[in-house]
Amino acid sequence: MNMLRVKGRVRGWFSRPANVILLIFFVTLVFLTLYPLLSLLTETVTIHTGREARAAKEAAGTVSLYHFQRLFATAENDYSWIQFYQPFLNTLTVSLSSSLIAIAFGGVVAFLVTRTNLRYKKFISAVFTFPYIMPAWTLALFWETFFKNVNIGLKTSNGIMASVFHFFMPEWFVYGAFPIALVLGLHYAPFAYILIGGILRNMDANLEEAATILKTKRARIIWRITLPIVKPAMLSTFLLVFASSMSAYSVPVFLGSPVRYYVLSTKMKSLMDSYPGQAYIIVGVMILFGVAILLLNQRVTNSRKQFTTVTGKSGQISRINLGKANRPVALLLVIILLMVAVVPLVTFAMESVIVKAGDYSPANMTLDFWIGTNLDQRLDQGDSTGILLNPKVWNALGFSLGLAVTCALVAGTSGILVGYGVAKRRGSRLADMVNSLSFFPYLMPSLAFGAIYLSMSSSFPWLRGFLLLALVGSVKYLPFASRSGVNAMLQLSGEIEEAAVITGVPWWKRMLRVIFPIQKSTFLSGYLLPLVSCMRELSLFVLLVPTSNTILTTMLMQYSEKGWAQFGNAINLLIIVVVLLINFIVNKLTGASIDKGVGG
Amino acid sequence: MKKILALILALSLLVLAVPGLADVGEDVAAGEKLTHDELVEKALAESGTFVVYGNTSRIATAAEEFAALYNITTESNNLKDQEIYTKLRSETGSTAADMVMIQDGAQLTDAIDEGLVINFVPASVVDALDEADRQPALVHQFINKLFIYNNLGENVPAIRNVWELTDPAMKGNIIFKNPESEKVNMNFLVMLTSDTWAGKLAEAYKSWKGEDIDLGEYKNAGYKWVAEFLDNVTFGKSDTTIAEEVSQETAAGKIGLFVLSKLRSSSVLTENLTVAQYDATEKAYTVEPFAGFMYPMYTMINAKATRPYTGMLFIEYLMTQEGFQPWGKSIGAYSPNPAIQVNEGDLTIDVWKNTLVMEDAAYILENFEVEDFILQHCQN
Amino acid sequence: MPEIRLKNVTKRFGKFVAVDNLNLDIESNAFITLLGPSGCGKTTTLRMIAGLETPTEGSISIGDQVVFDAEKGINLPPNKRDVGFLFQNYALWPHMTVYQNIAFGLENLKWDKKRIRQRADELLHMLHIEAFENRYPSELSGGQQQRVAIARTLAPGPKVLFMDEPLSNLDAKLRMEMRTELKRLHKDTDSTFVYVTHDQLEAMTLSTKICIMNGGVLQQYAPPLTMYNAPANLFVADFMGNPTMNFIDCKVKAEGDRAELSFGDVGCVFHAKGEIRLKGDTCVLGVRPEFVRIGGEGHPATVYSTLPAGMETTVKLNVGDNLLTAVVFGDVDYPADSQVHFSFTDRAILFDREDGGKSAAEGTVKLL
Repeated sequence: MNMLRVKGRVRGWFSRPANVILLIFFVTLVFLTLYPLLSLLTETVTIHTGREARAAKEAAGTVSLYHFQRLFATAENDYSWIQFYQPFLNTLTVSLSSSLIAIAFGGVVAFLVTRTNLRYKKFISAVFTFPYIMPAWTLALFWETFFKNVNIGLKTSNGIMASVFHFFMPEWFVYGAFPIALVLGLHYAPFAYILIGGILRNMDANLEEAATILKTKRARIIWRITLPIVKPAMLSTFLLVFASSMSAYSVPVFLGSPVRYYVLSTKMKSLMDSYPGQAYIIVGVMILFGVAILLLNQRVTNSRKQFTTVTGKSGQISRINLGKANRPVALLLVIILLMVAVVPLVTFAMESVIVKAGDYSPANMTLDFWIGTNLDQRLDQGDSTGILLNPKVWNALGFSLGLAVTCALVAGTSGILVGYGVAKRRGSRLADMVNSLSFFPYLMPSLAFGAIYLSMSSSFPWLRGFLLLALVGSVKYLPFASRSGVNAMLQLSGEIEEAAVITGVPWWKRMLRVIFPIQKSTFLSGYLLPLVSCMRELSLFVLLVPTSNTILTTMLMQYSEKGWAQFGNAINLLIIVVVLLINFIVNKLTGASIDKGVGG
Repeated sequence: MKKILALILALSLLVLAVPGLADVGEDVAAGEKLTHDELVEKALAESGTFVVYGNTSRIATAAEEFAALYNITTESNNLKDQEIYTKLRSETGSTAADMVMIQDGAQLTDAIDEGLVINFVPASVVDALDEADRQPALVHQFINKLFIYNNLGENVPAIRNVWELTDPAMKGNIIFKNPESEKVNMNFLVMLTSDTWAGKLAEAYKSWKGEDIDLGEYKNAGYKWVAEFLDNVTFGKSDTTIAEEVSQETAAGKIGLFVLSKLRSSSVLTENLTVAQYDATEKAYTVEPFAGFMYPMYTMINAKATRPYTGMLFIEYLMTQEGFQPWGKSIGAYSPNPAIQVNEGDLTIDVWKNTLVMEDAAYILENFEVEDFILQHCQN
Repeated sequence: MPEIRLKNVTKRFGKFVAVDNLNLDIESNAFITLLGPSGCGKTTTLRMIAGLETPTEGSISIGDQVVFDAEKGINLPPNKRDVGFLFQNYALWPHMTVYQNIAFGLENLKWDKKRIRQRADELLHMLHIEAFENRYPSELSGGQQQRVAIARTLAPGPKVLFMDEPLSNLDAKLRMEMRTELKRLHKDTDSTFVYVTHDQLEAMTLSTKICIMNGGVLQQYAPPLTMYNAPANLFVADFMGNPTMNFIDCKVKAEGDRAELSFGDVGCVFHAKGEIRLKGDTCVLGVRPEFVRIGGEGHPATVYSTLPAGMETTVKLNVGDNLLTAVVFGDVDYPADSQVHFSFTDRAILFDREDGGKSAAEGTVKLL
């Protein structure tokens, strides 16, 4: 091959915007995801100063397998069992169960909504995504305050269930594996609802009708036809929920610690203090698990059994008549959703106005924690003013919003570009790699992701403060944005852009004037999800927040750690209301929704 | 060739020198010799916002008053000790802290060795303080966590001897913060395994049971007490939560080990609580062999501070009566400065030093393996 | 052999009437086609008979069993109706192999494994898909998928087979081929076929009887050739035949079985087989393109365009304001805008617009 031809080829390759985009993202993502991974690996074999060096009897900076030996193979005082194996088993239990709960609950509701004549569908589908929009700890906190009683946990006070209804829940119900799995399962059930519902809605109804005609019983149809067809969606849900549950931190802290139930993420956090090497090994284990499920997921979805989505005359699908069961089932769902999505809000509102815990009499109520002044004199606890009068709170709210909007813009736009590149060059190795890389941050536990970026930032003096937070947030939420970006682009036939290419419209104009408007709501959903998630993110930012500008969630955490329950509850309510409001406004104005963001 | 080598050498020296552009260590050494007025002058010459981290919420009040006094823009942040250490390691530049208030002597000793923080003792108090309270780190105050129980119901756990807490009947009635989540609690438990405390515990056992202690598998009485105590403990989220929970009307029979100053909180039903040591003092006995524990809160200058003199001035201010006021105005905080009197109704620092387990950083650092033993008993 | 009987069947979706008071008798062993433009209610009708859709009113019986009766509250589920259904998009289960797809229905009937194997082999052989037995649907071409779908539907040996535009996703050549096979299948299986299509040629070539629908209303139910030669109304006449019939608005003077027609400067005379039933003095003259002759004696016309197809040639002629279509056997090329003469050679039909486009008379027409 002569030089001219090579040159021509290279120029040809670079003349396609998709190639340039993919290349840029490939390089950037390698740096932003593989570099942290590499530095994580380095940390696992490095002896750190302080406690670690003392314990390992090595100089700081020595490269050693000490951490592995210590974490995995120390029998003395049951060290490995306590620090790794037991929490590992607990993590598996909790993550597996929460995935199953999410799939079962979300899947069943998705089925009921798409395939039956269930009542109150509108309400159910509107409220179903609430638990995901709200921070996960919300439900955990609610669970504890609602069900706690003097027979379990601290055994000191009664929650509403015990004090009002005189119903004393057993310990396994309130603390430990069961509530953790349940709360996480409910929190992530919207994933299942959206992903499985999406397939059920688009699934050719003829597939089931064909089986009906062939004298298949209802149950057998669901088991042999419907379930296998939604299997890919179930596996995707499994991947998403498992990875998230594994790295969930606040829920196991709230519901596990009182009964000494520890999981990998809580162990990682406490080890990070004195033995970062071992903490990073735990992070590595979590990532390995995530990657394993990702690979499994890819194998299944890429198999020969994949189905062509030729939709038939599904518009004529007859919905299953639930008959007499309709009202009870619908009511049950409505009650569950109210419990999960609305009652917590009411509880937080209540808890934010009472002075002494557990006393719900009007005499004990005050709006001081919202709008009071001179509180430090009168209450000798917490800030001097109620949260709505506290400039720090408004500052934090502003900072949170600024951060969330920035992350959403960066992640969302990147998502669209990645989607464009991946869809245009589908099947090419570069596209596959960029696609996988852009999903990778999802598998990194937030807490660890933040920790790694913090240590990375010391090598880049300009990378600090807002910039650092925005970068971390953007990378962490890229997976959602790129998913919806890829989805949107795949739905768009190539000819639409080609028609513009023929008439000589430049690339940026094609994106802005042709492609974006057509898939507007899906693209905007790619912005919405990072926005919402960012507003309620805690563990990712907790180490990175510049002390001068706190965000709402870290403020909430500080308050609740100090035990300023009323302020904490008020801020929690503020966060939830702001997030729900953003979601509502964006949804009404643009038609973007969380559903489309997850890829439903 | 030689020239090139020299150039490279010079360049690399330059690069190495960059992080230490201003040597804070030298500043601090110089600062210790300055009078108050000289310190003020130096501090006012520094520019930008003065940044403070502390793991006590009242640092905010102190910082505000300090800012008003000297007209210095000040920003205070209340963080957990671990967050402060993490930030000290990674943050640089003008947004990083200039001065920190921090607890956990063991970790602080490591941080000093690592060169993260530098000790500063203001000339104004150097003579008044005990050597132990200013070296290797300046103690701003002592904080005590005491056995405090709910005084309602029939079975009030008015303990006279800590061994009472190891009674299987007490299981689930004792609330303490998880030693893993706040290291001062861990330090306390480690201290109990020292020969001194093990000896005292063995004696206390004898006075409780009337017979010599049977150690069984345990190395000494300290290990035995720690193990059996932890077996009975339920872990609470924070000291505030523990105080609130133990004070509930529904919490009869419960006893907590938490910070005395939490009794000031409006959300705590103080009337339902009794401090074991107060009760004992009143009735002329003591809780054998300790009524809780006490640990120091230190002040340090960040080795990467950009406003070291302001930091030193603030520390000097904190050591005064005025600067101690945000903490000193209520019970549960004790200045090592003899000039600052304890609150009425509270016991003096000397009484507490004799009735409480004190933190000894050197011992903890030497015996950190004990933590594994403690962790084992923090598990089910 | 079951006979299918629909009585006063109506289906409404909200306010929209999909099928309006339909009465239909399908003789056993027939090959019936439900024909019409999209949205005419033909698929709904089919799905109602199969039980996939519930009629709003009326009754349906298959053989001597009433499968649906709105008044008596009878509604047999599809799996109790003993029918087969072939879907437009085949609806093959993507997660099952060809063999599993075919065997699935037989498993439901609790056949033993050996018998299932035997029956599946029979069908695989019959439809020439033995080679694909272990493939998944996504690995098959459209034609192959179609065959698998047919095999799956035929497997339990249904006495009634419903097909919903089964050939519409295939290319023209395959479609021809499959038509032949379907007709053969009808003979071999001895079943009643009910077939939905919007393709009149398919309906013409396959069926024993066509049921043509429009807007939910039955237009005509007759054997294909009857429908072609004696359409009941303008809609049917227009729908059947390709190229479509010429419709010429004429002034008419009718008397008994004879009528004088005129359009533009053309005059012609119509001899009816019976009495001419016209309400006014206008009518629509319907002449099939094959009865418009070009050349020889006749009225002058201008060639608008010529479309040779090899076996025959379609010629469009401008006659005054009318555009007439003629079909000439063999390939003859008339240059555009050249002058020719045309005449009517044989059969024609009169339609009465004032009577909703109903056929007014059948007969022959000649130029004056």
